[in-house]
Amino acid sequence: MVKKILVVDDEQDIRVFMTTLLETSGFKPVTAKDGREGLEMARKEKPALIIMDIMMPRESGIFMYREVKKDPEMRNIPVIMVSALSKKTFFHSQKVVDEFEGVKIPEPAAYIEKPPEAEELLVTIRGILA
Amino acid sequence: MINPILLVDDEEGIRKVLGISLADWGYRVLTAASGEEALDIVRKHRPPVVLTDVKMPGMDGIELLQRIKKEMPETEVIMVTGHGDLELAIRSIQFEAVDFITKPINDAALRIALQRARERIWMKEKLREYTQGLEQLVLEKSQRLIETERLAAIGQTVATLAHAIKNIIGGLNGGIFVVEKGMELGSQKYLTQGWAMVKGNVEKIKNLALDLLNYSKEREPEYRRINPNRVASDLHLLMQERARECGINLTVRLDERIKEISLDPDAIHCCLLNLLGNAFDACLDVENSGNPKEVVLSTALIEGGGVEYRVIDSGCGLSEEIKEKIFKAFFSTKGTRGTGLGLMIVQKIVLEHGGEVSVFSEKGKGATFAVRLPAGDIALCGKGRKENSVRCRTWRSPDATKGENNV
Repeated sequence: MVKKILVVDDEQDIRVFMTTLLETSGFKPVTAKDGREGLEMARKEKPALIIMDIMMPRESGIFMYREVKKDPEMRNIPVIMVSALSKKTFFHSQKVVDEFEGVKIPEPAAYIEKPPEAEELLVTIRGILA
Repeated sequence: MINPILLVDDEEGIRKVLGISLADWGYRVLTAASGEEALDIVRKHRPPVVLTDVKMPGMDGIELLQRIKKEMPETEVIMVTGHGDLELAIRSIQFEAVDFITKPINDAALRIALQRARERIWMKEKLREYTQGLEQLVLEKSQRLIETERLAAIGQTVATLAHAIKNIIGGLNGGIFVVEKGMELGSQKYLTQGWAMVKGNVEKIKNLALDLLNYSKEREPEYRRINPNRVASDLHLLMQERARECGINLTVRLDERIKEISLDPDAIHCCLLNLLGNAFDACLDVENSGNPKEVVLSTALIEGGGVEYRVIDSGCGLSEEIKEKIFKAFFSTKGTRGTGLGLMIVQKIVLEHGGEVSVFSEKGKGATFAVRLPAGDIALCGKGRKENSVRCRTWRSPDATKGENNV
């Protein structure tokens, strides 16, 4: 069965690039433009993997990621974060919010800094879905 | 020790006797028989210490003391009097004499007075040295601070620029990838989408470069006499088509009382184009979806014959927090679509015209940008150098890069 991958990014260019990359590599991409839309899509489409940006209008990737990981039906979906934000900054923000909320949210399956390279992304995706 | 000292007494005998003692103690003694003569010597030789009798014909010791302290406050004055007059002593000290001794002069008392004078001179000297040292230190430190701030500003500019460029390169790489897939698989969809990405990102980098150039260039404004309404109606014509495409109702309201003033029409055109572009973007923002899309460009005569342009939109508005930042370099609310330089260029041009830009807005309630230009005759400084004319970015609809695809 073709695996469904949800791409959440507010940038049109990134969505087109990822869609092309995924389609031509044997996956079925679905897209969303922000964290809120992303959550709706994740619930509806039940993707095998989510690739998401962090800085987006309306709900950010940080919010969406935590919602996904707190939801019993979605928490097992692996997530790749792709962001212009440095990895260090993201992990630091997670630690701070963890402490604030008093819950430990697991780390994402992978973290890729923008701009994403096609080969790097594919290797990561295949590694996670294997 | 060759310390000069001025000895002032109307009695020659005292000048002689006291002079010998002082010379004995190592002073170079100058003498004066009157207050007037003393003042001349003080002006000419600037002795650090003056020893003066109080009772003298003509200018007396107290007056001499006051004049010396007024003209050369660093001079220390010791008062000498024949009477144990407490009132005179108090007055002398009030006028900042260093000490007060009585005749007949007791050597020990005189030495103590001289010692006090020397100490005071030394302390004042030190104080001045320290003060100057401190001032110098403050100057050096502030210069270093300014330098550090300047470097930090450059560093930040470079970092932000690098980030913007990296983003565009990411877009270009993505576009190239999609185009290549299109060629590989013979897919018209990929070719079209990928090509749109490449074009969009080339446009972005072009705008970034033009904005940077416009901002950094030391440009001589080309002032001419023109009716400000003309710039506004030209823009109306230019933007009408775009407005229609974007579903925006663009209206222009001109104040017909406005007469010709001196301004740089290209620059002001660029300013208003930037403001209109922002107004359109604000109307098309997701946060404004479903609301009416109205943009008004108006002109009004202001006191002194100048003009106030207003660009009013019914868009998403600006929060207080954002309002504070909009005129700063590289601040943009438009994500990768904005260069963060537009309003900075607007401000630069308006300031060059001796005018001012202001913004009124509330989150969710639209925004009004006002540009006030004085009628002042700045035409005289116009140099008319063509190579310096403003190159304004081509305005494109914010959705132009999004294409028709539904990804």
